[in-house]
Amino acid sequence: MRVIVEYTREERVKYISHLDLMRTMQRAVRRAGIPIAYSQGFNPHPAMAFASALPVGVTSQGEYMDIILAEPMSLPVLKERLNHALPKGITILGALDVDEKAPSLMSLIERADYRVTATGMDWEKALTAYSNSAEIIVMKKGKKGTTTVNLKDSVDTVGIDSENKEVLHLFMKVGGKGSLKPEAVVDALLELSQGNSGEAELPDRSVSIHRTGLYFRKNGDWVTPLLRRKN
Amino acid sequence: MDKLLLDKIMGQVSKPVRYMGNEYNMVEKNPEEVSIRYAFAFPDVYEVGMSHLGMKILYHLINERSDTYCERVFAPWVDMEGKMRQADIPLFTLETKTPLSKFDIVGFTLQYEMSYTNILNMLDLAGIPLLAEQRTGEDPFVIVGGPCAYNAEPLADFVDIVALGEGEELTGELLDAYKEWKGSGESRRAFLERAAQISGVYIPGFYDVTYLEDGRIASVAPNTDAVQSRVGKRIVHDMDRTYYPDRIIVPFMNIVHDRIMLELFRGCTRGCRFCQAGMIYRPIRERSPERLLELAEKLVQSTGYEEISLSSLSTSDYSELEHLVKQLMKRFEDKRVALSLPSLRLDSFEKEFIQEVQKVRKTGLTFAPEAGTQRLRDVINKGVTEEDLVQTVTDAFESGWNGVKLYFMIGLPTETREDLQGIADLAKRVTDCYYRVDREKRQRGLKITVSASCFVPKPFTPFQWEPQDTMEQFREKQEFLKKTLRLKHVNFNWHDPEVSFLEAVFARGDRRLGKVLLSAWKNGAVFDGWSEQFNLDAWMKAFEENKVKPEFYAHRKREQHEILPWDHIDTGVTKAFLWQEWQRALRGEITPDCRLDCTGCGIRRLGEGLC
Repeated sequence: MRVIVEYTREERVKYISHLDLMRTMQRAVRRAGIPIAYSQGFNPHPAMAFASALPVGVTSQGEYMDIILAEPMSLPVLKERLNHALPKGITILGALDVDEKAPSLMSLIERADYRVTATGMDWEKALTAYSNSAEIIVMKKGKKGTTTVNLKDSVDTVGIDSENKEVLHLFMKVGGKGSLKPEAVVDALLELSQGNSGEAELPDRSVSIHRTGLYFRKNGDWVTPLLRRKN
Repeated sequence: MDKLLLDKIMGQVSKPVRYMGNEYNMVEKNPEEVSIRYAFAFPDVYEVGMSHLGMKILYHLINERSDTYCERVFAPWVDMEGKMRQADIPLFTLETKTPLSKFDIVGFTLQYEMSYTNILNMLDLAGIPLLAEQRTGEDPFVIVGGPCAYNAEPLADFVDIVALGEGEELTGELLDAYKEWKGSGESRRAFLERAAQISGVYIPGFYDVTYLEDGRIASVAPNTDAVQSRVGKRIVHDMDRTYYPDRIIVPFMNIVHDRIMLELFRGCTRGCRFCQAGMIYRPIRERSPERLLELAEKLVQSTGYEEISLSSLSTSDYSELEHLVKQLMKRFEDKRVALSLPSLRLDSFEKEFIQEVQKVRKTGLTFAPEAGTQRLRDVINKGVTEEDLVQTVTDAFESGWNGVKLYFMIGLPTETREDLQGIADLAKRVTDCYYRVDREKRQRGLKITVSASCFVPKPFTPFQWEPQDTMEQFREKQEFLKKTLRLKHVNFNWHDPEVSFLEAVFARGDRRLGKVLLSAWKNGAVFDGWSEQFNLDAWMKAFEENKVKPEFYAHRKREQHEILPWDHIDTGVTKAFLWQEWQRALRGEITPDCRLDCTGCGIRRLGEGLC
């Protein structure tokens, strides 16, 4: 039985790395007594796969993992037991039974949206500069050294929240080729808000990034792995 | 605490998870609802401190009390420290992010000498006055415990209270005394006087030390009627009835020992003469297999850990080891819990055993002959023979192992060139054992790792009177070994002698080193146990500034009746026994395991029927 689990990573645990998260989930599954399947081989590991690594320091209300169970289990029970066994700050929101042969989450997911909050910031200026630029070149560090990427190719939409000028909404590529980390986009936007003078330091303010969802394309819509349509 | 500011700097440092807390099984309490706030401080980074069994025990033990909230604090790594100083953020605890200065008690554990500058740095970062005599009114009391507390003299200027021995009972008594005192409106000193009445509590400030012209100690004597002239350590008598946590914090990040630790017993009966742990943790006291199995069951359930390690000073000496291992295997095999057995001694490592362990997970094989020849092994009373080694590695190779680690020390008392040559000979012998095993049976890719550390004479051991080798001697010996160990399949590791030299100074140091410590810290010494941070110049300058000769501590031979800086501390093992052992060492006489026959070390004074 294959199950996709939707979970959060909240403020109080936002500094854990992807590896930390994987370990935490594995141990929570063990504590919860969930009958997870193990891989074959000399060093068997639990059958668990993650949709996308969340950068350290970023919170999220829409993370996903795929687990394979050795025996069937009711999803509400799974959710309840796992929530009981998880550290505070990671909460299971839902679970969905999927076809064993369905593609992996990692290969499926193409987009993410983020809510970026910068206290005391007015994003107006950055956004105007963004719209007026044909391309915005940023450096991207990869395994094979640093490459340059046009930021506008990896961002679909960027907009200011209708109620709070400090808040920005980003909808962008995730995981695949040419995708950028949200921090890279935020840094570039913060720089744009400084204008071209180049003299000013980045503002001394705290910026928080929150992932609101991960999506894949289904019948022309962007939907989450639990099949909720992006609003 | 400005949480926004803290959040901002945590976004800029490496491994911010070190400072985050909120792990599974972290204890949460409302600080407003307790009468005592206790900060358990480990003077090293999170992943080292969280691996420490004593901390796990005391953290959960103290938090069993509804009147006390015990929180944790570790040494921030240098990047975090820099940011904290820049942003004026005081050192805080992980649980509630409360500045350390707001606590009633700050308890440091002393696991190794090279963490001492971190203690000063942490106090400074917390805004707590470094010197005990400068602390007043609202300042916390600074307590130290752990193995190095048996000679905490170099830290005497900085600490209020030293807790000697095992903390399970003492800590509770100290907290009771604190609670009474806190309500009494009495002076700071009055609490120290109350504390001094608790067995195992040593208040350095209540003792004066005088010196002879040549630098040796003339006397150590109480300066108040409130204390005795000698202070003895505390021990737990019944290991089955004493507290042991059945839930422990499960860190998010990968820590050094990321597993359940089952403590089989305390103490060791082997009597290796270089080993401080073997002397200070006496007598031997075992936990029953039933209790251990019960704890294992609960801990596996409450943590989700996938590995249990059996922990003690000499695990193969546990009297019901076979029974315990088989039971653990049986119960946890289908739960996929691996079992690891560290610090196994050569002579009782049996073939059947190797296979049992292998059933679940193959762990590395390490052996510690410590010295290269039988003569020197007799001197140090490491009752292991070359035949034992040959037998064990042959069994291991036949069972499919292909890697062996061998640990040695250089600079042991009476060591000669022949003993060093013996290290290479043993490595060669192990290689031969491998090739003597059938080609079909043995695993390809033999790898032998030889590690040689620099011997540090420790207080409360039979070698406490002996000089350490100079750094030049160590280097010359390392060069010799590098040459002689240029063998196929053999990898040689060695340590820079500078750190061992400083360890030797502080391990057997006295109160005059307090000034040196302070200067070294001011000169920038911090995280001295981390090679990338170690700064010998800061230390050498500190010795010079204070006109203290480090050689006096590291390289001087003490005579039998010299008053040693730690003589007023009683670990149970007598100085007369240690001297007798030293004389036997010089004659190359071994002393058998004291389970076979009492060797009269003195520990029986601590209680009837203990061993």
